[in-house]
Amino acid sequence: MDKFKEIIRQYPFLGFIIAFIILMLVPSVFFTDLYQSHLASLICINIIVAAGLNIVKGFCGQVTVGHVGIYAVGSYTAGCMFLYLGSGLWLTLPAAILIAGLFGVAFAIPSFRLEGPYLALATLGGGEAIRLFIENGDFFMSTYGISNIPQPIIFGVPFDTPDKYYYIAMPVMLIAIYFSFSVLRSSVGRAFMAVREDPISAAASGINVKKHKMLAFVLSAMFAGGAGAVYAHLPPGYIHPNNYTVIEMVTFLAMVVFGGLGHIWGGIIGAIIITIVYDLTRPLYEYQLFIFGLTIVLTILFMPKGIGGFIDKYFIDRRFKTKTGAASK
Amino acid sequence: MLLKTKKLMKAFGGLKAINKVDFELPANEIRGIIGPNGSGKSTFFNLVSGVYEPDPGSYIEFDGKDITNEPPHKVGELGLARTFQLLRLYQDMSVINNVMSGYHTLVPYSFIDAVTGRKKIWDQEKTIKEEMMELLSFVGLADYAELNASELSGGQRRLLVLARAIAGKPKLLMLDEPAAGLSPVNVDNLMKILMRLKEKYGLTLIIIEHILKVVMDTCSKVTVLDHGEKIAEGTPTQIKDDNAVIEAYLGKKMDDEEMRKALAV
Repeated sequence: MDKFKEIIRQYPFLGFIIAFIILMLVPSVFFTDLYQSHLASLICINIIVAAGLNIVKGFCGQVTVGHVGIYAVGSYTAGCMFLYLGSGLWLTLPAAILIAGLFGVAFAIPSFRLEGPYLALATLGGGEAIRLFIENGDFFMSTYGISNIPQPIIFGVPFDTPDKYYYIAMPVMLIAIYFSFSVLRSSVGRAFMAVREDPISAAASGINVKKHKMLAFVLSAMFAGGAGAVYAHLPPGYIHPNNYTVIEMVTFLAMVVFGGLGHIWGGIIGAIIITIVYDLTRPLYEYQLFIFGLTIVLTILFMPKGIGGFIDKYFIDRRFKTKTGAASK
Repeated sequence: MLLKTKKLMKAFGGLKAINKVDFELPANEIRGIIGPNGSGKSTFFNLVSGVYEPDPGSYIEFDGKDITNEPPHKVGELGLARTFQLLRLYQDMSVINNVMSGYHTLVPYSFIDAVTGRKKIWDQEKTIKEEMMELLSFVGLADYAELNASELSGGQRRLLVLARAIAGKPKLLMLDEPAAGLSPVNVDNLMKILMRLKEKYGLTLIIIEHILKVVMDTCSKVTVLDHGEKIAEGTPTQIKDDNAVIEAYLGKKMDDEEMRKALAV
């Protein structure tokens, strides 16, 4: 098992190919109806957003509550490109990622001067402004929403049902996770953490604090934008400004916080659990915000590092024991 | 000269924290800076390392380059490392990650390499990690590499801060009270490690310290600050006998009569 781990660590790509094959088989083994496939696609999309949010919030320590706005930018880039240019997912996805990245730059600028709750307020305003701008713009079909956004067709096979669309969303998710792993396990990820822990001391070590804040915001905005585009094309291909409210933002935050801030796997596990809980509590619509708000508060109070913290603790304790054990021999 | 300041000035409102300090430091020297609390020692460090912006008219030169208005990360890149009085450790990162982030400027691969996650990165990361583990075992923290920095004891934290500052292979290391709050045994241990590190990496050191034994034993020259001004500079023995220094910092010797009066009040 250790040898296997070592190989995966050296060739991370191999691990993702294995994960890809396993996830390809999941629907035919476990899923019994279309709705489960739809939920699985949603989970994939949320994992992309959570992975991105983890970069900026968990690793770089910048509180952003405007991410849902960038997610909306991704969705509406895809929607408008379909509406006015008739483009499909293969064009709208890169375009959404690019444009969301530009919005990431805009969101990063306040973080140079603001911190903590003040930054949260600024980004909350930014996110809401984007939503209201869309809701009141005829160009974006205002409150009618954009419908009939088409699903991609590969080799003549349309991926237009939820069970087929899963095979589009899942690889995109794996690529996103791969990128987030590569970045966060490298010196850039360490620099993000250093900026989170202590910007002054990070600067003294030669880390450009502003540049890394900018990088974190842009990267995570690109993740959110890509997720937004994949969401726009999700069957039945309908987007509406109401899909991008503060409730969604709280859900995204709950995923990252519950899963474990600054823990890559934690964010992913959080996204899976919270998406399922979100779906189960749909009948209790009025209480959803309350439920997820309470989840965040309880998580911060009783397990500040979320699920990922437990995983970490287990591994670190074990490693420390073996280390000292070896030393005493 | 490795470090040179001319007419260095910094005022906070009406308070002149640093007032026209000329300072010169040749390479390979160990320089001590002493002075009473509030005399501007830490402000001096903050000005040189770019944390504060000096007032107009000041000039700072490091290794032949003008760094007067450079931001702190640029100064760090040029090879000037420092520690902080309040340590400023990365509490929620593992010990090894703390040290490895000190290596940041020397990392050989680019950002694009990092994003694509090619195999060569992992090999290079491995070499970096091995090198940093060596540094950790040098200061005696190798066994704690995977623990969080917040789980270390006070003395170990001081060592970790030292290791993090040295990880980037600096030319000049500025230590802000490296031995504050340590027991005498630990102070000796720290100074021993420091001297070994200096030899190994060819460091030039500036040390702010209130434990005079440390300054007198290790420093070849001492600069004394008081109210933001340089009042004396010389070898430790010269400083010990300097009247201005005695009055401002060391405290003068009282005879029996004076002592009786002072105690009665």
